Amino acid sequence: MTALLLWSPYVRQLVNWSVTAGSVLLCLFVLHSRFPGMELLGVGPNWPLIWVVAWSVKRSPWQGAFAGLVLGLIQDGLTSPDPTHTLSLALVGMLTALLQKQRYVQEDFISVALIVFGMAVLAETVIAVQFSLQSSHLMAQSTYRSLAEIWGYHQRIALSSAILSSLWAPVLYYPLNRWWQLINNIEQMQT
Amino acid sequence: MYIFRRWWDRHALTLGLACLALSTAWLLRQTQSAVVLELYQRLTLPFQAAGSPQAAILANAQVEELQQRLTELKNQNYQLQKLLDYKAVQPATAIVAPIVGRSADHWWQQVTLGRGSQQGIKVGAVVSGTGGVVGRVVQVTPNTSRVLLVSDPTSQVGVTISRSRHMGYLRGLSGNRAIMEFFDKVPDVRPGDVVSTSSFSQLFPPGLAVGKIESVDFGKSPAPEAVIELSAPLSYLEWVVVTPSTTTPPPQSEPQLDLQSDLQSDLQTDLIPFAPTGLTP
Repeated sequence: MTALLLWSPYVRQLVNWSVTAGSVLLCLFVLHSRFPGMELLGVGPNWPLIWVVAWSVKRSPWQGAFAGLVLGLIQDGLTSPDPTHTLSLALVGMLTALLQKQRYVQEDFISVALIVFGMAVLAETVIAVQFSLQSSHLMAQSTYRSLAEIWGYHQRIALSSAILSSLWAPVLYYPLNRWWQLINNIEQMQT
Repeated sequence: MYIFRRWWDRHALTLGLACLALSTAWLLRQTQSAVVLELYQRLTLPFQAAGSPQAAILANAQVEELQQRLTELKNQNYQLQKLLDYKAVQPATAIVAPIVGRSADHWWQQVTLGRGSQQGIKVGAVVSGTGGVVGRVVQVTPNTSRVLLVSDPTSQVGVTISRSRHMGYLRGLSGNRAIMEFFDKVPDVRPGDVVSTSSFSQLFPPGLAVGKIESVDFGKSPAPEAVIELSAPLSYLEWVVVTPSTTTPPPQSEPQLDLQSDLQSDLQTDLIPFAPTGLTP
């Protein structure tokens, strides 16, 4: 903490942003691997979603939506841009910030896990709705899944993804939150 | 002016960083996140060559693959005795590649391989593993490549029942199940039949083991459907074999980054040969 205080504000900003960017990169790496305990019915935790929630909990709705947009674009690149992940993640960021958790609940672990649980279900639903719109648009081609398939699959992955994401959320949330709080405190101390 | 200057002094850095984040994300999206995949490949390099803990499952799958291939070859041989103008397909050089990552999303069934264009993998290459066909390469970076698994719903493959030579196409169902839709109204098929890629498929070479029929639904409209258990244990595989596709890729007017449209054009090329004529024996 004292070492951080001695740094010039610009260096500190730079370090702060590289820590943030590094945590995003870490999320993207973990997203590809399936360690023991990270898989349920072939579905792993939704790391970008956990990151967006961790970011938005103590920030403004616009900041949350922006983070969702950025992570959504990156995840689109990693899988397929159609249907897009930006919509679901931006919505998650905005809603998480709108909840104003810190005003009502001081406790951090369980409330964040609960928020992640709800948001994971919401995110999968948004994607499933996009798939449904697609399949109703392109009925002629049988390339796309049928509605029954989409929503059957949605039920399965929404639940397992929500459970796993909420259980793993504190692993990411705790260190990131500590770091951002530290930076915040220092900035307030200096002004 | 002064207000603006003050606002600018306070927010310039944040604004700049926000623009940077957004443009980086956009760049990553346009380049299919190649940078991320390459970094990931570098980081996981020390862990890749580890021995497989699921040796028993893989061995079992291999035995099953050999059995299925035997059935397939027997039937093919029988067909060949009747057919004289058969041309043997030259086996192409194969690249062995480790699976370094699973799909980055629950809706897509993809894996990432630890070999890429520098090792000679091209888009459209056929990926098979212990147990049979695994999927097709849809994107390559210098050292990684992304494979769309046969269990993905958008992945469609022309397949045939080994015993009765009845044709159909296969649509992934996630996990290790797939649906086979027949072109005939009354196909000769029963549970336990071996399914392999058909000789009409333009994306996959004929005769690759795909799986076994688990159940058949004759009442399904417009055509009967069967559930197939894929023979390759997709979630346990650690190494796969990539063979360059022998077929010419569909002509494309411009390089497409859009995965979906790639899939569509591929799908059309794969299924058009069946469509106009009912290939019913």
